[in-house]
Amino acid sequence: MHPDIDVVEADPEADRRLLEGLADWCDRYTPLVAIDGENGLFLDITGCAHLFGGEKALLADLMARFFHQGFDVRAGLASTPGAAWAAARFATGHILAPGSERNFLSRLPLSALRIDARTKASLESVGLRTVGAIMDGPRAPLVRRFGTELIERLDQALGRLEEAISPRLPVAPLSVERHLADPLSLIDDIERLIGLLAATLKVDLERREEGARALELLLFRVDGMVSRITVGASRPIREPTLVRRLFHERLATLGETIDAGYGFDLVRLSALSTARFDARQADLAGEVEDGGEELAIFADRIGARLGEAAVLEAVPVESHLPERAAPARPYAQEEARKGQVARPARAVQQAGRHPRQVDRPIRLFRQPEPIDVPATEVPDGPPLNFHWRRALHRVARAEGPERIAPEWWREDADAPTRDYYRIEDAEGRRYWLYRQGLYNAQAVPRWFLHGVFA
Amino acid sequence: MATSAVAQDVVFALRQKIAKIEGTLAERLVAPADGQPVAGLLVRRNGHASARDFFLPTGVERLDKVLGGGLPKAALTEIHGTETRNAGAAAGLALCLVSGMLKERSRRNDLVLWVGTTEMFREAGLPYAPGLASFFGMSAESLLLAEAPKASDVLWIAEEAARIEEIAAIVVELRGNPRIVDLTATRRLHRRAQDSGRPVFLLRQSAAPEPTAAPVRLVVSPAPANLRQTLLGPLAGSIAAPAFAVEIGKSRTALPGSFILEWNPDARTLAERNPENRVAVVSPSRGRTRPPAQAGAVLAFKPAAAETAGNKPSREQHPAHRRPRRTG
Repeated sequence: MHPDIDVVEADPEADRRLLEGLADWCDRYTPLVAIDGENGLFLDITGCAHLFGGEKALLADLMARFFHQGFDVRAGLASTPGAAWAAARFATGHILAPGSERNFLSRLPLSALRIDARTKASLESVGLRTVGAIMDGPRAPLVRRFGTELIERLDQALGRLEEAISPRLPVAPLSVERHLADPLSLIDDIERLIGLLAATLKVDLERREEGARALELLLFRVDGMVSRITVGASRPIREPTLVRRLFHERLATLGETIDAGYGFDLVRLSALSTARFDARQADLAGEVEDGGEELAIFADRIGARLGEAAVLEAVPVESHLPERAAPARPYAQEEARKGQVARPARAVQQAGRHPRQVDRPIRLFRQPEPIDVPATEVPDGPPLNFHWRRALHRVARAEGPERIAPEWWREDADAPTRDYYRIEDAEGRRYWLYRQGLYNAQAVPRWFLHGVFA
Repeated sequence: MATSAVAQDVVFALRQKIAKIEGTLAERLVAPADGQPVAGLLVRRNGHASARDFFLPTGVERLDKVLGGGLPKAALTEIHGTETRNAGAAAGLALCLVSGMLKERSRRNDLVLWVGTTEMFREAGLPYAPGLASFFGMSAESLLLAEAPKASDVLWIAEEAARIEEIAAIVVELRGNPRIVDLTATRRLHRRAQDSGRPVFLLRQSAAPEPTAAPVRLVVSPAPANLRQTLLGPLAGSIAAPAFAVEIGKSRTALPGSFILEWNPDARTLAERNPENRVAVVSPSRGRTRPPAQAGAVLAFKPAAAETAGNKPSREQHPAHRRPRRTG
C-alpha cells in the first residue's frame, strides 16, 4: 500500500450522523427532507422553488453551497422521486422537464431504476440492459418472472404511480424565516431577529385563531451547521415580546454551547404545535380579567431555562398506591382550564377520597428507601428498631398496619402486598415505612421507608 | 419621592427616640406590649400597608408576644432544620404557617410555590399532595413544585416567583450551606418579599447558622407527638397530631426562647403544648339550643325515675341484664 495513504476504519454511525447533519442543513430549502439509503437525500421542493428564483437557481445555489462546504454532490431535479434519483446519478445537474421522464429514462441502464442487484443481473442475463428495453415490453411476463417490484419502480419513476417521500421531521404548521446577506453572530442580534420573526408569525397565528404551544428556532450556520432550539409554553402564546423572552431564557442557558462560528445566514422560527387561542377582553384600565397569565409566563421561563420538568404540579389520580396517587407532572395551564368546569365535583371527590382519618406523609421519596430491620416483636408487627442511612433509629411508638395491595388491573398485580406503619422514633421523628410481603417459610420480607411525616 | 423619604427618616428617628425613652426596641413599638394590635394603627410600608398586613400571627400567644406580634408577613423567614432527617419537622412548621395564612384568605386560586434543589428533594422526598391535604387542608391544585439542580437557580426561581400575584407564599428549600446563599442573596429575597407583601420561607436543612438578612430565624426539631385521645383516655402507643420543638434562633425583637408547638389539623391552628391544652375528644352535640346542665345541679328525682340522656332505659330498668341467661 502507498505510504501516504491514510487508512481510516469505516464508521457507518458517523456517516449517518453526517448525512443527518446535511439533511438538517437542507431544511433551508424545504421542510420536507428525507434520507435515502446511505448516501442520498430527497428534497420535496414543491412550492419552494420560486423562493430561490426558480428550479434552476435553486439547484445551482444548492450545489454551489455544498461545493463550498467541501462536498462533491450529484443532484438531479425531476417531477418524480424515481426520475430525480436517476438524474442525480446519471446526469448530474440535469433538470427534467415534466413529461420528459420517459424519454430520459429509456436511454439509461437498469441500475437507474432502484432495483436490487439480483433482479438486475437476471434481467441483464436475458439481454435487457436499458430501461427502455423493459419500458415497452409486455408487463405480465415481467411481473411473473421478477415480481411486482420492478414494475412498481418503473411506474414510480414514470409518474404512473404516486410515490411519497417520508420526511424525517414533522412539518411545522407555521414557520417564518429570514435569509441574511450579512451573517449574524451576536446573541443580542439573534434575539432581536426573533422578535421580528415572531411579529410575522403572530399575523399568521391570528388568522388561524391559534397560539403556539411549542416553538422552534433553527439557526443555519454559514458552514452548514444547524442548531435547533425549542421552547414550550404552558398556554398558547403569540405575542412577539413573550416569544422573545422565552428564547432569551433558553439562549441564556445554552450560552456557550451555541457556537456562532462565522455567523448564521438563515434564521427560521417555526410553531411546532399550535392550539386554540382564546382572546380575552381587557377592561378599561387595560388589565385582562383572567389571572394566571403571569404565572404561565413565569412557568414557561423557568421551563425554558431549566428544562420542562422544572415546574411541576401534583395531579390527583384515582389510585390507592401512594406513589401513583399524586404524580408530579410538568405544569400546563391548558389542561387546568379545561378541567375547571369539573373542578367542584373533583374537589368534593377529593375530600371524600382523603378523609382526615387517613394520614399520609407530607413528603414522599421518589423511590422507597430500603431499610434494615433486625427484629420485630411479632412476625407481622412493626419493627423495634431499624437502620436507615447508616443510622440506627429506635422505634418508640407505631401505628398500623395499613395494608395496601397492588392494583389487580395493572400488570404488577402479583407484587407482594405492603403493610404500612406510622413510626415515631425516640427523638420524635415520624416516618412511614412498610414491609413488602408477609413472613413465610421461604423468604424474609424486606422493609422500606417511603415517606416522612410532619 | 424625596419628601416621603425625609418623612420616613423623621418617623424613624422619632420611633427610635420613643423606644429609648420607653426602654425597649423600636420594632416592638409597632404593636403594644400585650401583643394586641391597636385599631387604627398604621404601619407605613412603601406607601400603603396596615397593621393587620404586617404580621403573620402564629396563633401561639406566648410566641407571638415574644416575636412582638407574630412573624413579619412581608419578609423572609428562615426555618432551620438541624439535620436532613428532620426535614419533615422543618417542612411541617413552614406548612403550618402557610396553611394558617391560607385559611384566612378567601381567594380560591392561591398557590404555594415550593422550590428546592434536586439534591434536597432526593434526600428528603418531594412534598406529597395527599399528605398536605390530610394534615394541612391544602388541595393538590394549590401546590406548585419547582426543582433546580443548583442553589443559584433555586434562588432565581424564588426571586422571579415573588412577583407573581397568584403565588401566596413561597417556600425555598436548601440543604447545607451553599456559598451562594449569603447575606446578599438573603437580602435580595427579603427585599422581594417586602415588595410583594407576601412571605418567603427559607427552609435550610442541616445548615449551620450564618449571617442572614431575614428578620427572624426559627430552629426546628421534631418533638414526640401526644397520644391520641379517646373517650376512655389516651390510647397507648398511638401517634396524634404533629408536634415541633421550636427555638428562636434570631430575631430583632425577641429574646431567645424555646417552645413545643402542636398542630391541630382540624382547626388548622398551632398551639403550645401544655397538659391542660387538650383537644376535645367528642365534638359538642349539634341541634341543641342550650348546653345540657351540669350533672348534680338539678337532681330532684330518685335515680330510678331519672331519664338518661339518650332516652334509653337505664341498666337497672333493663330486665334483660338481670335475668340469668337460659342455657340449653
